[in-house]
Amino acid sequence: MDSYSIGISGLTAAQKALDVIGNNVANAATDGYHRQRIELTPERTSQVGDLILGGGVDITGITRMLDGLLEREILRQRSSLGQVSQELATLGIVENAFGELSAAGGLSSAIDEFFNALQDLSAHPSELVWQTQVVTAAQTMAGRFRTLGEFLAGLETQVTIEAQNTIEQVNTLLTQIADINQKIQRLEISGGQANNLRDQRDQYITELSELVSVETIDRKFGVVDVCVVGIGVVTGGSATELEVGLKEDGSLGVSIVDAYNYNSDVQGGRLGGLLSLKNDTMAEVHDDLDSLANALIQQINEYHVQAVGSEGSFTELTGWVMPSENLADFDPPVTDGKIYIRVIDTGTGTITRNEISVDASTDSLTTIAAAISAIPIPGLNASASLSKLSITADTGYEFDFLPAVLSSPTASTLTAGTPPTISVSGIYTGTVNDTLRFTVSGAGSVGNGSLELEVTDGGGAGEVIATLNIGQGYAASDLLDVGNGIRISLTAGDFGAGDNFDVDVFADTDTSGVLAAVGINTFFAGSGAKNIAVCSDIVDSPARVATALGADMTDNANVLRLVGLKDQTMSDLDALTPVEFYRQLVTGVGQELSVRQMRQDNVEVIIQNLTGRQSEISGVDINEEATQMLVFEQMFQAMAKYLNVIHSSILTIMEMI
Amino acid sequence: MSGTLSNIYSNVSFALQLHTEALARLQEQASTGARVNRASDDPSGAYQILGQNSQERLLGNYIDGLCEAVNTLGLSSTAIEDVMSQIVEVKTRLTQISSGIYGQEQRKLIAQGINDALEHIVLLANTKRAGQYLFGGSDTDSPPYVAERTDGKITAVTYNGSLEQRNVEAAPGVQSSSFYVGDNIFRSNERGDPVFLGDTGAKAGTGTSSVRGDVWLTVIHDGSNYKLSIDDGASYVIVPAGGDVNQAVTDSRTKRILYVDSTEITSTGVDLVRIPGTYDIFHTLVTIRDMLENDRGLSEAQLQGLLINSLNSLDEVGGLLVRAQVSVGSRIGFLDDLKDSLQKLQYDAQDEAARVQEADIAQVAIDLSRREVLYQMSLSVAAKIMSMSLLDFIA
Repeated sequence: MDSYSIGISGLTAAQKALDVIGNNVANAATDGYHRQRIELTPERTSQVGDLILGGGVDITGITRMLDGLLEREILRQRSSLGQVSQELATLGIVENAFGELSAAGGLSSAIDEFFNALQDLSAHPSELVWQTQVVTAAQTMAGRFRTLGEFLAGLETQVTIEAQNTIEQVNTLLTQIADINQKIQRLEISGGQANNLRDQRDQYITELSELVSVETIDRKFGVVDVCVVGIGVVTGGSATELEVGLKEDGSLGVSIVDAYNYNSDVQGGRLGGLLSLKNDTMAEVHDDLDSLANALIQQINEYHVQAVGSEGSFTELTGWVMPSENLADFDPPVTDGKIYIRVIDTGTGTITRNEISVDASTDSLTTIAAAISAIPIPGLNASASLSKLSITADTGYEFDFLPAVLSSPTASTLTAGTPPTISVSGIYTGTVNDTLRFTVSGAGSVGNGSLELEVTDGGGAGEVIATLNIGQGYAASDLLDVGNGIRISLTAGDFGAGDNFDVDVFADTDTSGVLAAVGINTFFAGSGAKNIAVCSDIVDSPARVATALGADMTDNANVLRLVGLKDQTMSDLDALTPVEFYRQLVTGVGQELSVRQMRQDNVEVIIQNLTGRQSEISGVDINEEATQMLVFEQMFQAMAKYLNVIHSSILTIMEMI
Repeated sequence: MSGTLSNIYSNVSFALQLHTEALARLQEQASTGARVNRASDDPSGAYQILGQNSQERLLGNYIDGLCEAVNTLGLSSTAIEDVMSQIVEVKTRLTQISSGIYGQEQRKLIAQGINDALEHIVLLANTKRAGQYLFGGSDTDSPPYVAERTDGKITAVTYNGSLEQRNVEAAPGVQSSSFYVGDNIFRSNERGDPVFLGDTGAKAGTGTSSVRGDVWLTVIHDGSNYKLSIDDGASYVIVPAGGDVNQAVTDSRTKRILYVDSTEITSTGVDLVRIPGTYDIFHTLVTIRDMLENDRGLSEAQLQGLLINSLNSLDEVGGLLVRAQVSVGSRIGFLDDLKDSLQKLQYDAQDEAARVQEADIAQVAIDLSRREVLYQMSLSVAAKIMSMSLLDFIA
């Protein structure tokens, strides 16, 4: 009865083969489906005498057509694509938020307009319309900074939420992979073949690779273990859940749930992209924007605190609330130094300059306030309540921090009976605070003989910087140019031999940086892009935009210094000017985006090629399946015919009996 | 084997995606006219564009400032020209007096004319433009010249403006000012030796005097000593016996000093002391007006001599105005040239930005039609391949 067996095995093989073909065709459009092939081998042979006879056909298995190396490379590339696509999409949003090169203009035009408004003000320092224009331009610029700062902060939050959502998807897929692993193992241990389940599991792994970079390890009975970020997250039929959270340094990382051991070095997939954006790319953009805002705040305020606007000196100034009373806790830090306050008696016009020493390590707002209140000249009080410094002048007094030279020498030794009256004027253009000592050479009356004044810096201990003729040829009351913007004049009078007088000149009346740090007479408030704002005192009264440094408060020296900041390189901005730094920031984002666009294009082409190759190996070609179908149909028909012949032969024999 | 369903689908969708992206880019370029619409389109090009745009805004602001400065200086020039006209008019009248015969009444009429000219010049010196005084230096808010009056008549004009120039950045690295320090324009500052015009015998001392313009030196004798005054007798110094080669005579009102060599004083009287190189327009006119009114009771001959000498002081202030006019004119010329240069630079910046940013529309049109053809071809080929099947031949 071997012939029947042969016939039946052939019929069965052809039928199963047609089933496989049907399954292939049915899954021709199924994602992740790998073409299957029926494996046929000749049935064991039997020997009858000298003859060796075949026993028909045996189905040894149904195998999936796949290339393991190719599949792994596709997984790897899909991970790369997932990461780069996520980065590209998010950076595209950032680039659009900057809004440069659009008709509306972005922050760069706002910065330009702010400095242009300052430049306009330098030509009209005391006119309200130009002061108001500066305030409006500054508010526009600050508004743009805040919009961008808040947008970036919001986007970072969104990225974090997106990372949490992604990790939930990852966990779902891990559970599904583990479940299918379990089913495959159960099926294949009992000798079955779970090709479709394997395809389903592999499809989940492919989806997982788009979310995060994965490593797979093949185990017995079709089981695949999965590692993510070096963590074995699927082992056989069990899955380990992951979570995202913040590390101590503020970076976002991935950890096993409740292990709190966050790893931020996650590469590949959307999750890798999100973490890279949060921890590196966006953090850098945000930091750079904050640095730019902070540098502008610091530099503008540093110049602004020392000067006055057309409103003149102050009767009251109040700083902002500091996070701490102690100077040592200030950020940015203040340094040891001195604050010089001018107190003006508005009744007599007398001006005194008072020095407040600052020890950055031990002083607090309270000690600074106490030192101001303790100035021996009456007229000034200060307090520090709720970590806020306030300075107020008594009625009939005003104060400011102008570096303007006092009109009279700060010290003098004049021995003649009728010494001349010495007047000092001008705006000091030097870069360091100094004391100039004027020593008389010779003796006699101003305008006569060979009388000269020798000017020495460093309080007399430095170098001779000028020698001025005050003898014959000098007419009393004429101005003498000392250099660095300082001028003196002498009325008629007599000098004794060796007479001298000192003039203090100031380039900086707050060498400690305390005034700018605590918000006394500052222009901007805030510390970064998210909270930069024009101080409310300035908004309420644009005449307080500090334009002047000179004693008569009509000059534009300070506004010229502020204008100069646009061309000044700043160490906090990588030795670039503010405008250059911002331009570099914007084009840096564009560059990152462009690089990622190229990378995405490349990876897409690679994936396209790899999936093309995968399709050749694992894809279902309808025509090929049709050909196979014809083959097995013919085989089925032939085997049926064969059985019919065998059956007829047997019947013939039976009839003979 | 490349005819699998997924392969065909994948190839077609990939090709369509590429074409769609390219078409979208081209469509954006065609609709905006710009090749670079965001920094990522061409990062280095965007850096240039942003720089050129910034440069253009900056230059635009400089040009606006220069236009304003030129207008301000133009008005200053007009004011100075008007002052010059007044001075020429005064000089003409003074020349007529010195060459003709005018009585006291006629001189008083001319003095009235000079007083009117003085009032006009004070007005011109306090000219404002857009709320800013033109000749106050950096102090543009307050009138730079304040007239002191007695019985309504100007007796002195004081400069109350700032001695500092208000420099602004006219162009990158170029500082300029459109507001002059009036004291530098209407007063000369090239002090010469005093010239004594009179018969008292007083001469210039060895010291450097600080008085300015014209000073009346009054010499009296109290019976034992000569006494000297330059403040119309408000204070006197006594000449020691034999005189002093360098005697300081102080004006009690201004504290300014005239050093006098009193060794050769032989008579009392009033000398006019001229200090060349220290004249200011207002003081000169006040002195001439007062001279014409002759309140000091000078003799006709003395008066005639002094009036002729006054022509010198008018020449000095006239020269001062000519120099100021030249200075203003050359500054206007400089700023005009600067403005032209900046406009050229601004044009170049615009041109350069446009060159980098703008799209080549003809090229865009060609690329669009090419992509369109490719898009259609992708669809057509896919349909063709899909339509070929062995199944059609299986009965």
